[in-house]
Amino acid sequence: MTDNFSRRDFLKLAGVGAATSAILTGCGPASRYVKREPYMEMPEYTYNGLSTYYATTCRECAAGCGLVVRTSQGRAIKTEGNANHPLNLGKTCARGQATLHGLYNPDRVTDPIQRKRGNASATAVDWDSATQTVADALKNNKPSEIAFLLGTTSDHLFDLVADLSAQTGINPPVRFGALSMFESRATLAKAAENLFGESGMPFFDLGGAQAVFSFGANFLETWLSPVSYTRGFAGLREALTKKRGTLVQFESRMSSTAGKADEWIPLVPGTEALVALAIGRLALELRGGPLPRAFSDIDPKSAASKSGIKLETLERYAEMFANSAGVLAIPGGAALGQTNGLAVAEAVLTLNAVADNFGKPGGVFFSPLAPNQAMYQRSASVKEMQDFTKKLADGKIKVLFVHGVNPVFELPAALEFKKALEGVEQVISFSTFPDETALESDYVFPDHHSLESWGYQRVATGSNQSALSGSQPVVSPFYNTRATADVLIAAAQLAGGKFAAALPFKDEVEFLQSKIAPLMSQSGGFFSAADLPTFMAYFQQYGGWWQTADSRTVPNTADIFNRSLKAPEAEFAGEGEFFFMPFVSPTLAEAGANKPWLQELPDPTTTVMWNTWVEINPETAHELGLEDDDVVKIISEAGELELPVYRYPAIRPDTIAIPFGQGHTAYGRYAEGRGANPTDLLGGHFNEAGDLAFAGMKVKIEKTGRKQPLSRLESLMGVYGVGLGEEH
Amino acid sequence: MIRPEEIKMSAEETGKWGMVMDQDICTGCQACVVACAMENNITFVGEEDSGYGRSMHWIRIERFWEGEYPEVKMTPNQPMLCQQCGSATCEPVCPAFATVHSQAEQLNLQVYNRCVGTRYCANNCPYQVRSFNWRDYERPEPLSNQFNPDVTVRRRGVMEKCTFCIQRIHKAQDKAKSEGREVVDGEFTTACAQACPASAITFGRVDDPESLVSQLAKKRGHGIKHLEELGTLPNVTYFKGG
Repeated sequence: MTDNFSRRDFLKLAGVGAATSAILTGCGPASRYVKREPYMEMPEYTYNGLSTYYATTCRECAAGCGLVVRTSQGRAIKTEGNANHPLNLGKTCARGQATLHGLYNPDRVTDPIQRKRGNASATAVDWDSATQTVADALKNNKPSEIAFLLGTTSDHLFDLVADLSAQTGINPPVRFGALSMFESRATLAKAAENLFGESGMPFFDLGGAQAVFSFGANFLETWLSPVSYTRGFAGLREALTKKRGTLVQFESRMSSTAGKADEWIPLVPGTEALVALAIGRLALELRGGPLPRAFSDIDPKSAASKSGIKLETLERYAEMFANSAGVLAIPGGAALGQTNGLAVAEAVLTLNAVADNFGKPGGVFFSPLAPNQAMYQRSASVKEMQDFTKKLADGKIKVLFVHGVNPVFELPAALEFKKALEGVEQVISFSTFPDETALESDYVFPDHHSLESWGYQRVATGSNQSALSGSQPVVSPFYNTRATADVLIAAAQLAGGKFAAALPFKDEVEFLQSKIAPLMSQSGGFFSAADLPTFMAYFQQYGGWWQTADSRTVPNTADIFNRSLKAPEAEFAGEGEFFFMPFVSPTLAEAGANKPWLQELPDPTTTVMWNTWVEINPETAHELGLEDDDVVKIISEAGELELPVYRYPAIRPDTIAIPFGQGHTAYGRYAEGRGANPTDLLGGHFNEAGDLAFAGMKVKIEKTGRKQPLSRLESLMGVYGVGLGEEH
Repeated sequence: MIRPEEIKMSAEETGKWGMVMDQDICTGCQACVVACAMENNITFVGEEDSGYGRSMHWIRIERFWEGEYPEVKMTPNQPMLCQQCGSATCEPVCPAFATVHSQAEQLNLQVYNRCVGTRYCANNCPYQVRSFNWRDYERPEPLSNQFNPDVTVRRRGVMEKCTFCIQRIHKAQDKAKSEGREVVDGEFTTACAQACPASAITFGRVDDPESLVSQLAKKRGHGIKHLEELGTLPNVTYFKGG
């Protein structure tokens, strides 16, 4: 296709769609498919007032939603959802919309740099010497001393490094992200393995359900795949063609998901498993017949008193499980992030067996694997990250490559990741932004922003269809950045030997083609093509490849009732009278703090902007003599934080909550020095699946006597009647 | 006081655009707020100014609390934006004719280069949806690369508000005209409605009984219009649901 296709023939082939447009903008390697012609007629993007649209994939979280980006004269103007994409059907979340503030962020890493660790100033190097540095790092160290730490996005880069590792013996890449830590993905996967005999990502069919019981799953905020679960929620509520569905949320603090629930049950933290088992037993008793082993040990009465929920309430729920169809129970979030989290996940998943909803509308499935995926892979649990950190600290790793993750900011303070880096001779970051980890690196070889990048992302959950979401550059790189895959391929060639043999590609695009080509022979795709260039053109134009059929699978539940389910008491680390409940900011999540419009978004529950706060029940605050905006010191066993009080009417009096997302010490002008980071309070306690027991802590509060006003959208008058005195 | 039934639309006033908000499924996720900001070149104002209530959101999600712990409830999220009133209270108070009613689109316009910043309109708006540029807010380069070329960039001393994405309306109308047809329902939508993951926002022609907004309003029933008693004839209908 390179020589015998003119640009105009190519246009005919692929339509005036995304694929061709990308090529015309001359973004990197794709242009080699097209014979360049003189500008007899100007390329479409230079017509004034005429926009071009490119399909790509959002990388603000790992869900893999499809985007269509509007560009005008080579600039990205607006992101919209890709209406064809099976995951998000044309919709986006706030972070997806704000991705442009990442692309045009005034604080990006503009050139490859070398620095003294921790020193904000740096010297620019050129890409040739940068590539040489990477090549030397690969060549001059033992394979066992080379490690890659990757983020949860950019699956193609993970595949590339995994191939490199498989053929050269360097350590397999480790993936991590704060969101997967707060989602307790390892717990969910482990529970599925224990109950169904196979590991996978459960899929919860909210849209088809009539009643949903969520045990801490904040699926309308950041959990797993928020855009598709929000669509599911809308389906649950839909009342024109069916009865309006009910949502019941069990959690100690009303999240914005719980704010939408018909009933919010602020149970005692750590008693979720008891409640799930009690509801299951009561439901089975209502139905009659012998009690299966799974529910024979639980005493509903004591479960009710321990959890602080009335027995009548549990009985009412049990009736729903016993008598109605389409009842769904979802385990997630802080309920799993406790020392007994695995028991909670197993109990809640087993509750679905009582509702007998596996494989039925409104029930539980396994999410389909992506088209080029052999088995379910999850990101590292924090326990695995602790082992990894220990390896770094012990000097067993000489070179560490970091891409797409900011462990210095995201990992719990107790892991002391920053200190562990001292044990590593050479740290090379590929960060697009000057984040905390880039600051602690010897080199930063910046990757393009996601909107300037090639790649693909596997849709892990949220869609009925097996889908691989494709990325392509929508604008030419704005700065002197280079695709990390290109850097690694070039460095492997320079290093020669087994490295060159492991990555025998000309560039990133050739690598992508080698990974995408096998899809051509798969049946059931929504497009097919006889030759690779055409297939690739369609892949870019439509923003990926997916199967048309519903390819969810049904978990094997033959043995589910025969397991003995335990509900061990949750343990809480540290002294203090308050349960500590960190949660992910729904608007900022792990990497949104450097985008000014995300900073100016009011938090959905508190309406606070640009800062971090600690939520305290108004009654508790009154007893402690605290008002709004009083700065308090929160002390845990792992550290302490100072931040202003927000009197939150919907939180247990014995619980305090802090959002995660702010508290950066680097990461550009909008993030740096703003708010506080609750991971500074987190200790190193785990559940049985190795996930962090982030909600398994107790903390103390001390007054500081200072005040710091929080910027909030709501008026004080509207909430607490402040100012509604005599003058009104 | 003018009673609502006394205000009659004149016969030639057709082509009304309107919106339906389903509060039962709005999750308060703020996607619409960013989508609006990106589409309409809305500036961010920083922590201090937003604390003083000077943030420039053209659409905001309101939520209130009912009751006390543990019987506390969050009221259904309420997206609040310019209601594009048929009889708008902001219009008659503008001394510069910057806040005028458009006959063509049946919208409340804001003509930025006429606005002299008296802020009378915002003062008179019962929905509190107008925002004023108190400063020339800094948007460091290269953030300006993201600006939508179809929308004016406003500066200090100018009032602004939701336009129902009038640039999108015009683009769709121009396209339809060049193809010799009428604008089809659903052919385009506003930035907020396009982004909304729950599809809680629906936009379209309220004078067309076949359009999705009209159909939704009819099927759902019990829709409310905010502060209708003031006689503003708002074009946004809310469904509380539940």
